[in-house]
Amino acid sequence: MPHTARPIAVPRTLDPLSAALQRMLDHRHLMFVVLSFFVFITIVYPLLQVSVRSFIVDGAASLANYEQVFGLRRNYVAIWNSIWVSVLATVLAAAIGVVSAFLVQRTDIPAKNLFRALLVLPFAIPPLFAAIGWVQLAGPVGLVSQAWRWLFAAGTVPWDVYTPWGIIFVLAVTKYPFVLITVAGALQRMDPSLEEAARSAGVGTWRIMRDITLPLVRPAIYGGALLAFVSSIDNFGIPAVLGMRVHFYVLTTRIYEALTVPNMPLATAMSMLLVGLALVSMVSFRYAEGGSDKYTVVSGKSVTPNVVRLGRWRALVTAGLVILVIVIVVLPLLALTLTSFLRYWGADLSWANMTLEHYAAVLQTAAARRGIVNSLLLGAAAATILVAATALISYLTVKAKYRAAHWLDVAGITPFALPGSVIGVSMILAWSNPPVGPTLYGTIWILLVAYIMRYMAFGLQTTRATLQQIHGSLEEAAMTAGASRLRVLKDITLPLLRPGMVAGWVLIFISAFNELTVSVLIWTSGSETIGVWIFLMTDSGHTERAAGLAVLTLPVILVLYLLMQWLARLEERRAERAGLTEGKEK
Amino acid sequence: MSAVVSVRGLVKRFGKVLAVDEVSFEIAEREFFSLLGPSGCGKTTTLRCVAGLETADAGTIEIGGRVVYRTAEPLDVPPNERGIGMVFQSYAVWPHMSVFDNVAYPLKVRRTPRTQIAARVAHVLRILGMEGLEQRRPSQLSGGQQQRVALGRALALEPSVLLLDEPLSNLDAKLREQMRAELKLIQRESGLPILYVTHDQVEALAMSDRIAVMCAGRVHQLAPPEAIYRRPATAFVLDFIGGVNYLPCQILSAGNDAVTLRWRGEGTIILERPSYVPDGREVLLAMRPEDLRLVAPDSDGALRGRVVLRSFYGAGFEYRIRLGETELRVATGKDLDLREGSAVGIVVAGGLLLDPDAPSRPEARAC
Repeated sequence: MPHTARPIAVPRTLDPLSAALQRMLDHRHLMFVVLSFFVFITIVYPLLQVSVRSFIVDGAASLANYEQVFGLRRNYVAIWNSIWVSVLATVLAAAIGVVSAFLVQRTDIPAKNLFRALLVLPFAIPPLFAAIGWVQLAGPVGLVSQAWRWLFAAGTVPWDVYTPWGIIFVLAVTKYPFVLITVAGALQRMDPSLEEAARSAGVGTWRIMRDITLPLVRPAIYGGALLAFVSSIDNFGIPAVLGMRVHFYVLTTRIYEALTVPNMPLATAMSMLLVGLALVSMVSFRYAEGGSDKYTVVSGKSVTPNVVRLGRWRALVTAGLVILVIVIVVLPLLALTLTSFLRYWGADLSWANMTLEHYAAVLQTAAARRGIVNSLLLGAAAATILVAATALISYLTVKAKYRAAHWLDVAGITPFALPGSVIGVSMILAWSNPPVGPTLYGTIWILLVAYIMRYMAFGLQTTRATLQQIHGSLEEAAMTAGASRLRVLKDITLPLLRPGMVAGWVLIFISAFNELTVSVLIWTSGSETIGVWIFLMTDSGHTERAAGLAVLTLPVILVLYLLMQWLARLEERRAERAGLTEGKEK
Repeated sequence: MSAVVSVRGLVKRFGKVLAVDEVSFEIAEREFFSLLGPSGCGKTTTLRCVAGLETADAGTIEIGGRVVYRTAEPLDVPPNERGIGMVFQSYAVWPHMSVFDNVAYPLKVRRTPRTQIAARVAHVLRILGMEGLEQRRPSQLSGGQQQRVALGRALALEPSVLLLDEPLSNLDAKLREQMRAELKLIQRESGLPILYVTHDQVEALAMSDRIAVMCAGRVHQLAPPEAIYRRPATAFVLDFIGGVNYLPCQILSAGNDAVTLRWRGEGTIILERPSYVPDGREVLLAMRPEDLRLVAPDSDGALRGRVVLRSFYGAGFEYRIRLGETELRVATGKDLDLREGSAVGIVVAGGLLLDPDAPSRPEARAC
C-alpha cells in the first residue's frame, strides 16, 4: 500500500473573540439552552406554582390553606386512608409478586414464559378497567356473587367490593407486577455460584432459598414494593369506582372532589401533603432497605439460574398458578367483556340478553369518539416529544459530559416521584392564567404538557441506560476518523441509541394512553380521553358503555404490550451478544 | 529523516494525579514506536493526547510537521482534523454498520467520490484478507476479524500516523501472535509510522523499532528493544522487562576490563566491561534467567545451590535454585533435566551491577 503524505490544512489559531463566539454556537450550548427552557416550562414552573401558592392566601403568605385541610375531618381522614390502604395493598402485592416471581423464575413449572407474560399483563391494563371488572365480578349483582348465591342458596354474599377492603384487594392485584418484575429480574441475574456454594456445603434447597436467595433479592423486593406503594397512593380509578359511592375518600379522590366544587386552595394544600407523603415513603423504604444494596452479587449479565425441582408438588403448584392467573388476570377482563355485550348489568347470561347496542352507543357518542382520537394523539405526541428531548438531555449528561445539564436530569426525574394529582393541580395553577404565554387550561394542550411532565422520567431512564451501554470508544473512533462532534452524534450516537428510544416511546405511549389520575382533573369538554370518558360513564351508572369502550381499547393495549415484551427480549439478546463479542476492558 | 510525530514536554493531570509528566519523544518516518509500561503509567493518556481525545495541560504536539497542540497560544486541533488513524483496545467497530460502511466511513466524512471509496475500501480489505465479508455485520465477525475491520478503518484515509491502543490485548494467545506478525508486515510494506501502546513487553520487544518505557507518567528509557533488554537505564526498566534475579555480592577487584565478584566468599563471578560500577564494596548483581548456567556442583568458581522447583516449558526448563536465602530463576535448554532437591553449581555469564538498595527505591516500586 503506497503511503502518500496527505495535504494538511493550515493550522488555525483563533483570536479570543472568535473563539468565544464559536464556543457559544457550539451545538451543546444551543441544545442546553433549548432543553432548559423546555424543562422549565413543563416541570419547574408548574411545581413552583403549586408549592408557592399553597402558602398564599389573598396575596399574602399564610398557612390558612393547610389549616383548612386539618380543619375538616374528611380531609385529614383522606390522608390517613391513603396511607393504610396503600400499605396493606403493598403488602399483599409484594406477597403475590414475590411468590409468583420465584415460581416463574426458579422452579420447573411448565410454560414459564407464558405464565410470566400473563402475570405481568395487569401492568399494561388501566387500573380503572380492573376496578370496573371486579365490580362486574364481585359487586352486588356480579357474576361471582350470583354464582355464590346460586351455589349456597344464600341471600347475601360475605363480602362487599364497595369497601376499603375491596380497594386494597383490587390495588394489590393490579400493582403486584412491579414486585414480580423487579424480583424476577434480580433472581435471573443473581450469580448461581452463590447458591451452588451453599449446596456444596450440604444445605438443602428450601434452606438455601431462605438463607441465601431471599436475603440477596431483598433489595429488589423493597424496590418493587416502593413502586407498588407510590403507584397505589397515586391511583385514582380504583378508589373512585369502589370508594366514592360509599363516601370512602383517599387523597386522590378527595382532591378530585375539591376541584369539582371548586376549592382550589384546598386542592393545592392537599397536593403538597401528597408530595410530603411520597417523599416520606421513599425515605423510609430507603431506610428499610438499610444499605443492603452494598452487595453487588446481582450483576448486569443474565445467567442460567438454578432451578428448584418441585417433584410431586409440580402439578399442584402449576394448578395453583393457573387459578391465580385466571382469577386476577383473566376473570376481570372476561367480566368486562361480558358486561359490554349484556343488555343491562346484572341480566342473566343468555343469548337473548346479548346485544351490540352499547358499542353502537359508544361509537355514536361524539365525546367517546373524541376520547379515542385524543388518547391516541396525546400518547403519540407526548412519546415523540419526550423521546426526542430526553435523548438529547441524556446525550448531554452521559456523552457530552456537559455538567450543567445535570439539573435537567434531576428536574426531569422529579415528577416520577410525584402523585398524579399533584401534577394535575400544578397544571391548573400554572396554565389557567399564566403571566405570559397562552392559557392552556380548557384546551387539549394542557393534557399534552401534563403527560410530558409526568413521563419525562421514563424517557430519561431508557435513553440514559442505552447511552451508558454505548462504549465511549465507538464515538472516539468516529472522531479520529474525521467526524465532527455533531456528525458523530448523527452517525454513531443516535443510531445506536435507537433501540432505547423505541422502547422509551412504547413505554411512554402505553402509560399516557392509560393515564387517568391527571387527566380526570384537567380535562374539559373537547379534551376528553378514553380513561376520562370511561370513568364518567361508570360514575353516572352507564357501566355497559364504559365496558364497551374499555373492550374496544384492549386490543390496542395488548398489541403495545406484546411490542414492549418483544422489544425487551430483543434488547436482552442484543446485550448478551455484545457481552460475548466485546472484549474485557481494563 | 524528519519526525512525523513530535511530542515535547507533555503534561497531563487528572485532578491531583499527574498522569503524564514531561514526556518527550519523536517518531521518525517508517518507524514502529512503542509506549510500554504497566497499567496506569500514562502511556494510554499520552496516546490520547496525541490523538486529541484528551487535552494536555502543557507541552507541544506536532503531527506531520504541523503543530496540533501547544499550550502557549492556546492551540488544540480537534481529533477529526489531525489526520490520524486510530485502533482502540475494544476495536470500537460500529455495530450498526456493515464491514464496508465501517471502513468507508472516514472517506465518506471527507466527501470522497463514491467510486474512489469503493476502490480504496476494496484495497484495504484485500490487504487485511477480508474480501467477501464486506456486507457482514460486526456481530457476525470473530474478535480477530473485528480487529481487522478496526485496522482497515484506521488505514482507509492514509493517515500520517497510525495510533494503536493495546490492539491485541483482547485476542487469544495464538491469534495475538499471528496478528503481531501481520501488523508488522503491513507496517513494513506501507511505511506508515506507528505509535503503539502496550503493557506486554514481549509484544513491544518483538515489534518495535524503538520503545519508550514509562512508569508513573515519566519515560524511564527510550531506546531500541535490544538496548532496553540488555542495558536497562533504571532499576524499574530492569525489573519490568524480562525476568530478573538479584544477588547481593562483594567486589573482589575492579579493573578497566572486568570486575570480579564473590557471593559470601564463595564462587568467582567475572563481569566484563560493566556499564556501571557502584562506589562501595557491597553491590547488587542483577541477572537475567538466561545469564545463568547450571553446571556440576563441584565445578571451579561455581556457586553451589539446590534445585527447589523444576518447571517444563516445552522448549526447555526453568529451575528455581535456592542459594542461601535467595532463590534464582535459571532458564535452560531441554537437555539439562535435573531432579528437584539435587545439588547444582551456578556460573554467572552476565549481569548488571546496582547499588545495594536499588530495587527497593521508589522508582522501582512505584508502578
